[in-house]
Amino acid sequence: MSLERWHRVQQFLFHEARLLDERRLQEWLALYAEDAEYWVPYAWEQKSPKDHVSLFYETVTLLRMRVDRLERELSPLDSPPSRVNHYLSNLTVDEHGTELEARAYLLFAEYRREEQRWFAGRASWRLRPQGESFLIGAKRVDLLNADQDSGHLRFAVPF
Amino acid sequence: MREEYGREAFSELVGRGRVHRRFYTDPAVFAEEQARIFRRVWLWLGHESQLKRPGDFFTARLAGERVIVARHADGAIHAFHNRCTHRGAEVCLAAAGNARSFVCPYHAWTYRTDGSLASVPLEQGYGAEFRGRMAGLRLEPVARVASYRGFLFGSHAAEGDDLETYLGPEVRAAFDNLVERAPEGEVELAGGKTVQRYRGNWKLQLENSIDLLHPRILHRSAIDAADRVDHGGGPPSIEWDIVKSNGLTLREWDGMRIAAMPRGHCWMAGFLTKAIDENPLQARYRKIMVERHGGKLASEILAFNRHNTIVYPNLFVNSRVAQIRVLQPVSVDCTEQHGYIFRLKGAPDEMFEASVRMVNTNNSPSSIVTSDDHEIFERIQRSLAGGRHEWVDLSRGLEEEEAAVGTNELPMRNQHRAWAQYME
Repeated sequence: MSLERWHRVQQFLFHEARLLDERRLQEWLALYAEDAEYWVPYAWEQKSPKDHVSLFYETVTLLRMRVDRLERELSPLDSPPSRVNHYLSNLTVDEHGTELEARAYLLFAEYRREEQRWFAGRASWRLRPQGESFLIGAKRVDLLNADQDSGHLRFAVPF
Repeated sequence: MREEYGREAFSELVGRGRVHRRFYTDPAVFAEEQARIFRRVWLWLGHESQLKRPGDFFTARLAGERVIVARHADGAIHAFHNRCTHRGAEVCLAAAGNARSFVCPYHAWTYRTDGSLASVPLEQGYGAEFRGRMAGLRLEPVARVASYRGFLFGSHAAEGDDLETYLGPEVRAAFDNLVERAPEGEVELAGGKTVQRYRGNWKLQLENSIDLLHPRILHRSAIDAADRVDHGGGPPSIEWDIVKSNGLTLREWDGMRIAAMPRGHCWMAGFLTKAIDENPLQARYRKIMVERHGGKLASEILAFNRHNTIVYPNLFVNSRVAQIRVLQPVSVDCTEQHGYIFRLKGAPDEMFEASVRMVNTNNSPSSIVTSDDHEIFERIQRSLAGGRHEWVDLSRGLEEEEAAVGTNELPMRNQHRAWAQYME
């Protein structure tokens, strides 16, 4: 892995984070392949989304519905809109055939309705090279407290 | 706070077609509810499939108290408080597992899986009096434990209706049907659980689950998103169907069957879209059911068309999709909703996967449906704290209770009448 390629992956992931943070959600969706999966497991080291519940397990179609709701601001859930920041660090990139696997630590800050929440986790992406850029084939975020027994208040903006 | 209420005053919070805002906001009311309702009734603990072998155990919450439910060496199921009789430490931190005994991490008092005390270290350090009663020491048992068709319930009250009487025939029918929908007549709790927390009173969710006027209105943004979304050429997913099924017209919602039963229980008819009932997977499943039971019985089982059967005060049973939800009230303004799935033995594996995806859609904290409900509960909770209006209106259909359908608020009033009886 050349430094240049690692750098290109890093810049791409920073770009993805920025699109979410700036609420440019259609541009964010466009980074995903049509067959992509967005997965936030419920269990620690969860093996499969098929036989166990997940916090998010969404196809691009479901992400489109989520984004539609956020953009039209008709849902009481996210009005006024929450503000979020995605922080990425500890990035490593490995090659798997024609795809790349990027792994990073993720900090997520969210401010809504007089309250700031923080989540920490490990994120990974399957990336398909597309010219100088990439398409996201899969994204997975494992939150450190995904399965806490007291549960979670609702999530609006994806991790 | 307590002396503000006389013995009659709690029930005065429930009026004719209305409830006082303190019903949702007053910590003194919450404390009394715990004592007079939650510590008196039968509450769901878990399922026998979590206790397959001797020594299998799981931990659960019963009216806010931490308990262990375990299968003892002789096969009997016991439930006891997770609190060492010595100095009070929790003896078990795992959510579930298999154990020969429970050993307190503080001083190694050791208990058998029926809760009885097996040993203490340096026993001779205690006097004859202690050693005399040691054989009788045990982790404090839950007053009553009972099973209905594998569904385990506990009660902190030593006396009262037995479980079958408490549930009544219409609630039992929901459990019966959930089990009968398994081709092999057996279900298994599987797939983990979801936990949604909201900062509102527990009764707001109880009312909402039988409120048929709200889905089309409150969930409009999700229904609209489903209407507009591009499926990318493929068939709609189960998740899409679930969201879309809220989009009946107000007239259609108003025409649905509802029923209010004794003790505050109620149910509503099913409303899932045809797409969920009529697809190749369902057709395969129906064939298995017909082969197993014959056409007549299979049709009877599958014709049982209910959505939520709501068991007062905190349990939602959905036979059609083999799911249940439980409310765990934390404080007057904080509630957890736990969602569970059952695997139908003998049914295609893909049906379980579909159930998992349904629960993700409706009962994950990321749900684009129920997150709007919880948002509303929080807005209610905040606004009820102040202002001059003391009463909340629940009078819809008050004059038409005999023939109640659809958007009649009878089932909510029925819940609150049960509340007033417990609190009297």
